[in-house]
Order: sequence, then structure tokens, then C-alpha cells
Amino acid sequence: MRLLTTTILTGLLASAAQADTLRMSWWGGDARHAQTQEALNYCGPKHGHDIQAEFTGWSGHQERITTQIAGRTEADIMQINWPWLPLFSPDGTGFADLYEYDHIIDLSQFTEAQLAGGEVAGKLNGIPVSTTGRVYFFNKTTFERAGLDVPTTWQDVIDAAPVLRAELGPDYYPFEAAGLNAIFLVSMAVTQATGKDLIDPETTTVAWTEEELLDGIRFYQSLVEAGAIREWRQVAGEGNIELFEMRPWSDGRIAGTYEWDSAYAKYADPLGGDQVLVPVPMLMTEGAVTEATYSKPSMLFSISRNSDHPEAAAEIINCLLNDPEAIEILTDSRGVPASKVAFGLLNENDLINPNVAAANAIVLDGTGPVVSSFNEHPRVRDAFRDNLEGVAYGIISAEDAAADIISSIDRALRQFR
Amino acid sequence: MESRFLGLAYLAPYIIGLLVFTMIPFLASLYLSFTDYNLMSRPVWTGLENFRDLLSDRTFKRSLNVTLIYVFLTVPLKLVFALFIAVILNYRLRAIGFFRTAYYVPSILGGSIAVAVLWRYIFADTGLVNMVLVTIGLDPVNWFGDPVNALFTITLLRTWQFGSAMVIFLAALQSVDKSLYEAAAIDGAGKWHSFFFITLPLITPVIFFNLIMQMVQAFQEFNGPYVITGGGPLRSTYLLPLYIYDEAFKNFNMGYASAIAWVLFVIIMVLTVAAFWSSKKWVYYAGDKRS
Repeated sequence: MRLLTTTILTGLLASAAQADTLRMSWWGGDARHAQTQEALNYCGPKHGHDIQAEFTGWSGHQERITTQIAGRTEADIMQINWPWLPLFSPDGTGFADLYEYDHIIDLSQFTEAQLAGGEVAGKLNGIPVSTTGRVYFFNKTTFERAGLDVPTTWQDVIDAAPVLRAELGPDYYPFEAAGLNAIFLVSMAVTQATGKDLIDPETTTVAWTEEELLDGIRFYQSLVEAGAIREWRQVAGEGNIELFEMRPWSDGRIAGTYEWDSAYAKYADPLGGDQVLVPVPMLMTEGAVTEATYSKPSMLFSISRNSDHPEAAAEIINCLLNDPEAIEILTDSRGVPASKVAFGLLNENDLINPNVAAANAIVLDGTGPVVSSFNEHPRVRDAFRDNLEGVAYGIISAEDAAADIISSIDRALRQFR
Repeated sequence: MESRFLGLAYLAPYIIGLLVFTMIPFLASLYLSFTDYNLMSRPVWTGLENFRDLLSDRTFKRSLNVTLIYVFLTVPLKLVFALFIAVILNYRLRAIGFFRTAYYVPSILGGSIAVAVLWRYIFADTGLVNMVLVTIGLDPVNWFGDPVNALFTITLLRTWQFGSAMVIFLAALQSVDKSLYEAAAIDGAGKWHSFFFITLPLITPVIFFNLIMQMVQAFQEFNGPYVITGGGPLRSTYLLPLYIYDEAFKNFNMGYASAIAWVLFVIIMVLTVAAFWSSKKWVYYAGDKRS
């Protein structure tokens, strides 16, 4: 009897030792939250681990991760934004090196280029879940109601503005670009005109001249003046919320945006009725030398360097990325997957939303210079935002804004040279 | 346990909490304000560099300016409003208990994220306030898109949370000796005279207390502007706590953020000392030999 009890207890203790409790954090919208939790409910029990989910919206997620990493209380598995790598892991030691777990994670499902995107100083700090990029999305239904086709050029966007207002109402706009989108739009215009990314990778300084940037700012102003986009002041009047949360977006009065391809569901889901959101190929400015597709490794799955259970975390990451059942649960909640097996399975079974697939194809087929992660450095963003807002409110001239953006960014990047 | 240690044992949880969660971070931030600390590596001593950088920091100057305007707008507004409501609630009205509770509730909810989100929807371009304005034939107002209106809206949220100050005022009003009013009435004093020459002087200690408390809290305001406007537009609602937060957790500049926090602390201290100094001239304490 004693032997039997000892055997049972030993067995229980052994299985308890293998059953690790892990935490996983990510940001996203409702669809991603629901699908990821369901996938974790599959992957956790499959590998004998208990996983606590920690999920938020995008806003404030970086600050949350920063606090956790500084306090060494970060989750075992983290969804990390690619531009954060040089911030959190300047020498590659900020996260666990996933090459050490290649016996658990099937890295052969990813191309060398994809893995290179997650490397810092030769260490694999994260595995790109997908390749993402900025894509133009238009509300096809709104344009059809006004008797228009979805725009394929900037001139179409400008021409659509008066038609939408005449046919549907005075508060209809074909496009939206304030705040972050204004930054992306100006950057797109300058890159299309010059073929250069904002940051010169050789010198880590701004690659654009003041005149080139000035032309980009003027392009943005021309869209405001043509009534193609709402004034910054008007967008600010909605409060500190994102476009997809705004009523003018959900009821189709704002009919276009420039967003990550992986964010399709976030923008399509709130659209009321039978409204349809579609991606379109890159809109070109006059005299463009490149499409200026802003593409980058999407979010990465990383393991905390402080994790007590890195091997268990690696098992979960492998499950989320490469396990057929998990893939079918997650589908395209993080964009079109980078993993070959995931892409093949979803493609074969038509599990990728055609619009998400089309948006991703635009990104993958797009042309343009390699995008520096410093484009998304907080101080670079602040320099752009403060100055573009100043121009939009008439506080400073476009010339002064261009000069200040360049000098502020050069100053901010001095520490990285 | 010996009786001489019993009191200490009872106090221990508070003392430990004070040391761990207040004193250690307080002293750590003082040390960090003299360092370059990016959260990921060890702090490097830089002396007064962070404080020198503040002198030429446009964002800091803008944020400090906005913070001072916010505090000097919010505190008097809130005190006047709290006192006004307290005076009304001091009357024996029907269902007075309900009204006292109803007016106190916003101060419990006011600091929460949920109320800030609600406030954002109420004052949004297509929000409730503008719907009402349009219904009564007025033009809608761009509450968040106009820099002056945005700061006013944030101020309004803070003023709305007048409950705690109101309760303290109410307690003070109820402690005023009724015989003084009776004597004044016999001498022919009206209600306004009684209020300005009896009530107000007698509750000056409580006004002073509320002034200090509300000022300190206003300098620390974070939730409202963070949720409602994100500090915009044109950083018109970018209060210093938001700047501290951004520097610390977005820009990985904890040393600089600590320096800003200490400047904020010094400003609060100076204003508090000034308030204490001025209180000798306007605060009346019963039995005080100076008065």
C-alpha cells in the first residue's frame, strides 16, 4: 500500500514539475485577443503548461512592456514590435536567444531574411510572425454609394472629395490622415519622390534634405486644402482615440486610411451594415521613383531573458507558429503568417481573408528602400508630430517645420551613431 | 510580547509600507535625477546635466506653463464650487442625505479611467454636449481640437470631482457655532453679511487645508489628459506628469524623468511654503493669540 502511494505521489510530483506556468503578453484588437486565447487553450494543455494571457490594445503597450522589463516582471512570451528591438536589446541580450531553442522551435519554416529581421548582434531575439506594411484601405461601399470607383491614384482621392460631399453629405471624406498617419503620409510622399528612407543607414542621420521634406509636408497640406482629408483640428476634436473607434469611420463618412495590412480586421470589423473595406495598390505621387512601400517584420514572438521556463515558452511559440491546429485557430489574426507551414495550410483551406491576403500581397510585392527601425523611435515620432501639428494649426511655417524635424531627429539619433 | 513593542508592532505594516513604497522610491528618484539611466543598463552619474538640459528644453517649458495654468485654474474653481455646494447642502432640505451622497460620488469615480473615457465621449465632436448644443440651436464646439477648449475640458473634469473638498467644507460649516449667527441676526446682519463675516473667517483653516490638498493633487493630475486628449492638441494639455511618464517609459530616460519629477516637487514645496506663510495673514484659528 505504502509502495502504491509513493508511486502515485511520485508520478503526480513529476507531472507537476513538467507543468510550467507561463505568461504571454500581446497587444491587438478583439479578434486577435479571442483567437490567441483560444490558441493558448489548445497549446497549453497540449504541452502540459498553464498559460496566463495578458493582452491590451496598442495604446500604452510599449510603456507597459518597458516597466515590466525594467522591473524584470515581463511575461515569459511577449509579442514585441520590431522597432523596439534596438531599444530593449541594443546588444542582443535583451531577450532570450531563440537560436538556442532551435531543437524546439522549427526555424526551417522561416526564410533567412525573415529570421534576420528578428536578429540583434547575431542573436535571434524574436521570430517575425508576419511581414507587415502600410497599405491603403478604402470603404468600397461609400464610394459605390457616391457612384465612384475606389481610388487608385492620389488624383482620384482629391477628385472624390467634392463628389462624396455632393452625393452623400458635407461630412464625408475619402481619406483620413492626422497624427501618426500624417507622419506616414509625409514620409511616403518624400520617399516616393527621392527613393530614400528617412534614415541613412550608413550615418544614422536624416537622409532627406529640407527641401525634399518640405515637398512632403506641402503634399499633406494640399490634401487638406482639397478637402480630401479632415483638418488635424477636426480629428483632434474626437479626443484621444484611434480612427477605427470613431463614429465617422464606422458609419462610412471617413472612407479611407493608410494602415498596417495586419490591422485589416481592426478597421473592417467596426464598419456597420454591409460595408466592405478593400486594400488598393500603392497610390503614387507625381514623379514618384518608387512605391515607397513601408514594410517591415511585423510583430515578433520573443522569450524573456528572465524566464524560468524558456524551453516551455519555446514549445508554446512553436505551437502558435507551426502547429496545424493552432494555425487554424489563429488564422490571419496577426496578418498573413510568415511560417511556411502556416501560410500553406491557411492558403490551402481558404482561411485567409481575401482582403488580408490582397493587402499582404501589396506589401510583399511593393518596392522601396529598406525601412530603418529608427523611423518608429519615440523621439523621431515626436519631432514629426509636433511640427506637423504646428503646421496644421498655423503655428509654424512648413519651412520651419522641415528644418526643425531634421535637426531634432539628428539630435535624437546622435546616441546611436 | 512586551508592551513597549506592541505599539511598534501595530505600526509596523504602515512603517514598512512607507519605507518600501514611498521613501525608497523617493530617494531612488533623487539619486536617478543625477544620472543617465535608460532602464536597461546601470545608471551613470552625470551630476547636474539633467537639470541643465531642462533649462533649454522647449517641451518642459511648455509643459510647465500648461501645468501652472491648469493648477491656477482648477484649484480656485474647485474650492469655490465645493464651498458653494457645501453651503447648499448645509440647509435642512428634503432627501438631503441623497444629495450629499450624489454630489460626493463624482470624487470617488472622477479619477478613474472609466470616467475619463466617458468624459471623452461626452465632449467629443459628435458627443452628448455638442448634440445638446445643436438641439437648442447653438453651434457645436470643438472641445478637444482647440487648445484653449481642451485645457478647459480637462479642468472641468477635475472641478467636477469636488466631492471630497465639499464633504470637508460641510463638516466645517456644521461646526460653526450657531449662537454667532443668532447674535449677528439680532444686530441686523443679513445672510450675506453672516456668510462673509462669520462663516468664511471661521472656516479659513479648512479652506487652507483644502487649498493645499487640492493644489498638490492638481499638480499630479495624469489620468484625465492622458485618456481624453493624450496631452494634445499642440501639447495644450500636456501636464508635467505626462511628460515625466513619456520620458521614463517611452523614451527610456528615467534619469531625466526623475529630474523633472524633482523640479515638480520643488515647485509644489515652494507654493506650499508660500501658502503657509500667507496663511498667517488670512487663516483664523479660534484661541490663537495672534488673532
